[in-house]
Amino acid sequence: MSAKNVTVRYFAVLRDRRGLGEETLSTESDTVGDFIRELVVRYRLDLAPALIRAAQDGSFVDDSTPIRDGAQIVLVPPVAGG
Amino acid sequence: MFQLSHEPLIPWPVASDSAGGFVTFEGKVRNHANLRQVLRLEYEAYDDLAISEGEKLVAEAVERYRLESATVVHRVGLLEVGETAVIIQTAAAHRREAFAGCEWILDQLKHRVPIWKKEYYADGDSGWVGADAPGPNPELEAQLTQRQRRLAEIGDDGQVRLKAARVLVVGTGGLAAGCLPYLAAAGVGQLGLIDDDLVDLSNLHRQILFTVEDVGRLKVERAAQFVNRLNPTVEVHRHAERLTEVNADRFVASYDWIVDGSDNLPTKFLLNEACRRHGKPLVTASVHGFEGQLLTVQPDGPCLRCLFPTAPASRCVGTCAENGILGVVPGILGMLQANEVLKGILGYGELLSHRTLLLDLRSGETMSLSRTANPGCPVCGGGTDISDPCEVASMSEAHARLGVFIVVDVREPDEEPTISCDHVRLPFSTLDDLPEGNLVVVCETGTRSLRVAARCLAGGRTNVVSLRGGVASLAEYEPR
Repeated sequence: MSAKNVTVRYFAVLRDRRGLGEETLSTESDTVGDFIRELVVRYRLDLAPALIRAAQDGSFVDDSTPIRDGAQIVLVPPVAGG
Repeated sequence: MFQLSHEPLIPWPVASDSAGGFVTFEGKVRNHANLRQVLRLEYEAYDDLAISEGEKLVAEAVERYRLESATVVHRVGLLEVGETAVIIQTAAAHRREAFAGCEWILDQLKHRVPIWKKEYYADGDSGWVGADAPGPNPELEAQLTQRQRRLAEIGDDGQVRLKAARVLVVGTGGLAAGCLPYLAAAGVGQLGLIDDDLVDLSNLHRQILFTVEDVGRLKVERAAQFVNRLNPTVEVHRHAERLTEVNADRFVASYDWIVDGSDNLPTKFLLNEACRRHGKPLVTASVHGFEGQLLTVQPDGPCLRCLFPTAPASRCVGTCAENGILGVVPGILGMLQANEVLKGILGYGELLSHRTLLLDLRSGETMSLSRTANPGCPVCGGGTDISDPCEVASMSEAHARLGVFIVVDVREPDEEPTISCDHVRLPFSTLDDLPEGNLVVVCETGTRSLRVAARCLAGGRTNVVSLRGGVASLAEYEPR
């Protein structure tokens, strides 16, 4: 296990709850799923982790995908308004 | 009360001490229709059905507009120019409801009550007239669409395809305000509109099909009127109801393309499933604050549930009313939805069927994220349908899941009324530690309580759930 630097972008309600749109951070999480859970706890994103989808480097990936060092990660929650 | 009459109609006097607004509408026989001179009209009704449908309509109007009373008398038989064909009378505490109810009855009457009208013209001709069917007008159509037909990708062939297309737009709010005008202007032959909502002042900053004068009126009626002013050759089908599990299949099956302009997750998911079952393409969009997302679901491509296999609780991300929304956001997303539909019908470009488009209108930045089918999708893959683990739909579900539990009310101290069963009050704004043990969290609407339950789950605590519907869902609860 080693620390990886990633850029994270928060969309919609996640951006509101995180209080910013983008940040670069270091994580020890191995997979995308672990990383989502880590951020939900760390920043009180107040959404069940199973409801948050992540795209790594431009493609949606499932939770078991390994985090790549230097990745661009976009976190997308359900969006309801219309 | 709804009646048919063979005798000439005269308005009757009404009085009520509690009603301040009385509206009497008289519909009369006019001497022209569609540029032809009309001499007389003949109304024919299927009596029993007309009366039963009419009574239903009147009862619905009374409830919808909180009328004190509503009465409709419709003529049948032969009528000369100047004679009264229908009288609608409404009484309400205030004038706004009386006016709105009266007009709603008239609009609905034309669609729902089986009364047919035959026009006798000065040239000796005569004909039965459909409720609102627009007459064919090839010359007008040709002029309206001449600039787009110049595009090689459209041409006359493309215009014929547009004319033959039937598009259903679910929800006539902010997304529809961006989408509907362009679908109508492009010459889509048939547009279906579904919405049971009335225009409210708080809608107008984004729902620009409507004006201040439309407040209190049915959105589908006003949207249909907008569409037909822009392009009178479009056939508009108005459905003043909500999309439900019962009617979704019927609606989806009757159209070629479905546009999701709804404002809630359950409707979006319901549409996704119905479109899958019927092999219909769906263009779905949703908005939040300054941001929006858009994707197209093709019958053989990845669906919305491939992306979100766990069904979120409907309040998990709040609503436009709670989060706020910039008016141009649904407008822009709605236009992009129209573009997807036009792409699909005409075959130009590339649909967003394997991508999700995210837009941030603060920065003007867009992201296009690729997505694939999910073998674990509960709709098109082999997965089981799992709901948001943080929410229960009722107190009985809470009992079934947790057994014994404590109720925690996270509303702020000034929120009323106090709930009657045993509970702990811990306001959301200052919430830190929660009691041990099984907890059912409640708030006013179920949004804040869901955040608390999600926070607990993320921290590894699985014995905390939020009650859907908030304190109102506690009302029938008898503690054991």
